[in-house]
Amino acid sequence: MTAPSEVLLEVDDLTVGFPTEDGIVQAVRGVSYQVRRGDAVGIVGESGSGKSVTSLAVMGLLPRNARITGSIRLLGEELLGRTDDAMSKIRGNKVAMIFQDPLTSLNPVYTVGVQIAEAIQAHHSVGKVRAMQRAAELLEVVGIPNPQLRVNSYPHEMSGGMRQRVVIAIAMANDPDLIIADEPTTALDVTVQAQVLEALEAARKETGAALVLITHDLGVIAGHADRVNVMYAGKLVETGTVDEIFYQPRMPYTLGLLGSLPRIDESGRPRLIPITGTPPSLLNLPPGCPFGPRCPKVRDLCEASEPALTGTTNPRHQAACHFHTELASATAEEVFS
Amino acid sequence: MTLAPTKTPIVSVRGLVKHFPVRSRGVLRRQVGDVHAVCDVNFDIYSHETLGLVGESGCGKTTTGRLLLNLVPATAGEIRFQDRDIVPLSRSQMRPLRREMQIVFQDPYASLDPRMTVNEIIAEPLRIHGVYKRDKVRDLLKMVGLSPEHGNRYAHEFSGGQRQRIGVARALALQPKLLVLDEPVSALDVSIQAGVINLLEDLQDELGLSYLFISHDLSVVRHIADRVAVMYLGRIVEIAAVEDLFRNAAHPYTQALISAIPVPDPKKERTRKRVILAGDVPSPVSPPSGCRFRTRCPKFAGQLTDDERKKCTDEIPALAERGQGHQTACHYAEALTLI
Repeated sequence: MTAPSEVLLEVDDLTVGFPTEDGIVQAVRGVSYQVRRGDAVGIVGESGSGKSVTSLAVMGLLPRNARITGSIRLLGEELLGRTDDAMSKIRGNKVAMIFQDPLTSLNPVYTVGVQIAEAIQAHHSVGKVRAMQRAAELLEVVGIPNPQLRVNSYPHEMSGGMRQRVVIAIAMANDPDLIIADEPTTALDVTVQAQVLEALEAARKETGAALVLITHDLGVIAGHADRVNVMYAGKLVETGTVDEIFYQPRMPYTLGLLGSLPRIDESGRPRLIPITGTPPSLLNLPPGCPFGPRCPKVRDLCEASEPALTGTTNPRHQAACHFHTELASATAEEVFS
Repeated sequence: MTLAPTKTPIVSVRGLVKHFPVRSRGVLRRQVGDVHAVCDVNFDIYSHETLGLVGESGCGKTTTGRLLLNLVPATAGEIRFQDRDIVPLSRSQMRPLRREMQIVFQDPYASLDPRMTVNEIIAEPLRIHGVYKRDKVRDLLKMVGLSPEHGNRYAHEFSGGQRQRIGVARALALQPKLLVLDEPVSALDVSIQAGVINLLEDLQDELGLSYLFISHDLSVVRHIADRVAVMYLGRIVEIAAVEDLFRNAAHPYTQALISAIPVPDPKKERTRKRVILAGDVPSPVSPPSGCRFRTRCPKFAGQLTDDERKKCTDEIPALAERGQGHQTACHYAEALTLI
């Protein structure tokens, strides 16, 4: 490994709460992480773990009633508390976002060329003709055949995979420093998913952007991330390099996730190891470890105090478990049965 | 589970075809074409066996599942269930057979009536067939790992995994022999999904059920199925015992599917060979002539000579036996080990 590169994005003790009739839903409860230049950081977690909300906060796209505290710095500049106008200068320019459903992120009444050109002209003073040329070049990068013709297509004339590649083209239009992709392939078939992930890699190569990849698919993370953040109940519960997380997990939840996956590369069908119970409600969370009620290793200490992220094998591989040392080289089978 | 269970199939499908009419707009709504949803599909399901049916969206796997239960009428073909062709049967003639064959749907939110309690949902099939007993509902709830005390609650009070268990309990109420499972775990988070898969495996062992397990997720299918059929654009392109299919996939489409699945193992993932398909699935309204996969086939595009290609464009490849029940519908099939 080379010397650590410059820190691009720094999220520090971020909390996000949504007021509801029943009280405040604490969707994110103190998340801190860094993304360095050129890094690919994967965020995994189940539905409702706060992985999308964390990224929407970075983009300044949370609804107005959200209560946000903490700090989000992009290249040292604080993003929280900026006006929407100020954020617009950053969105799509320095940071771009790709959403799950390409049909709702594209405008049905404009051709895709116009939409890509619009993204370019929003941040650069270039003419219409030049912007359309650039749009065709971008479509070529993401692997759309006949880009010169396809710039004149409307979103409904394209398949789901092609639309998502158009969204990627829009994301890379202004050479962003960071691309945030929120479940970019969840709605797609596997063969199309492979095409879209390849387009995403092409976009990263072309722009040199760092990537934050949010997904529930551990397979996608294994192939496309350098570092992994595992989220549970609004917190990071484990963070480390992709190899550390997959081969030496130190948090029972991570271990459980890996154990509950059916594997295409394993024959003889070993029995799956499910995690019992369901994630806790983020409304009035009880004290103690949020994973405690589902954890087979739970003890008194776990119910009394919530564990903080602490270093395990090395300072950058951290786990939020009081007993992470006991999990060294443990298998999901040993822990969960 | 051992392979090659008892040799009499519980259900046999031969030459199954389903076309959906495409109508013009306007008052007349003339028929202007057909969606070729399912074309000449053949397979058997043996007792105590799981047949996995995989393919991408729109390939006809759900339609095949519904045809199997006669929930949509077939355009042509034969479905023999207990030595009887069920295709020509009317609704009332089907009713006694419905006890034997049930379905579990994909979406655990849409498939349960929000105005009925769980007890009522599970009791409904029992009442329809006149075999309702209160204890029976309690036993079913226990069987799928839910507490009988929860029977008075409504579906919205349960999580996705629990709802899917309710759907399974309803399907099992009449003690069927065959269950069609249409993407039963696709809507669930992985940690929950594992519990439902384990439940389905346990129930099969306990009750000797046969499953048609429809899924787009090959990892799940490898885990649960005994044999696997791969569908592409309405046709079965490959069918084989599960280990054979994943070790020696012979159809280029199966190979592409297997190689496209991300593996949750970073070292393997970095070194894997990928077959990335070009383009998208063609419209089933006007499928390509000859082999339907040829428009996306890497072999057709890169390896075949013009003469060889002619066969792909002119002749529909039949499912040809490669030994031990491994059948492939490709003129130039060649086994490849991808994982």
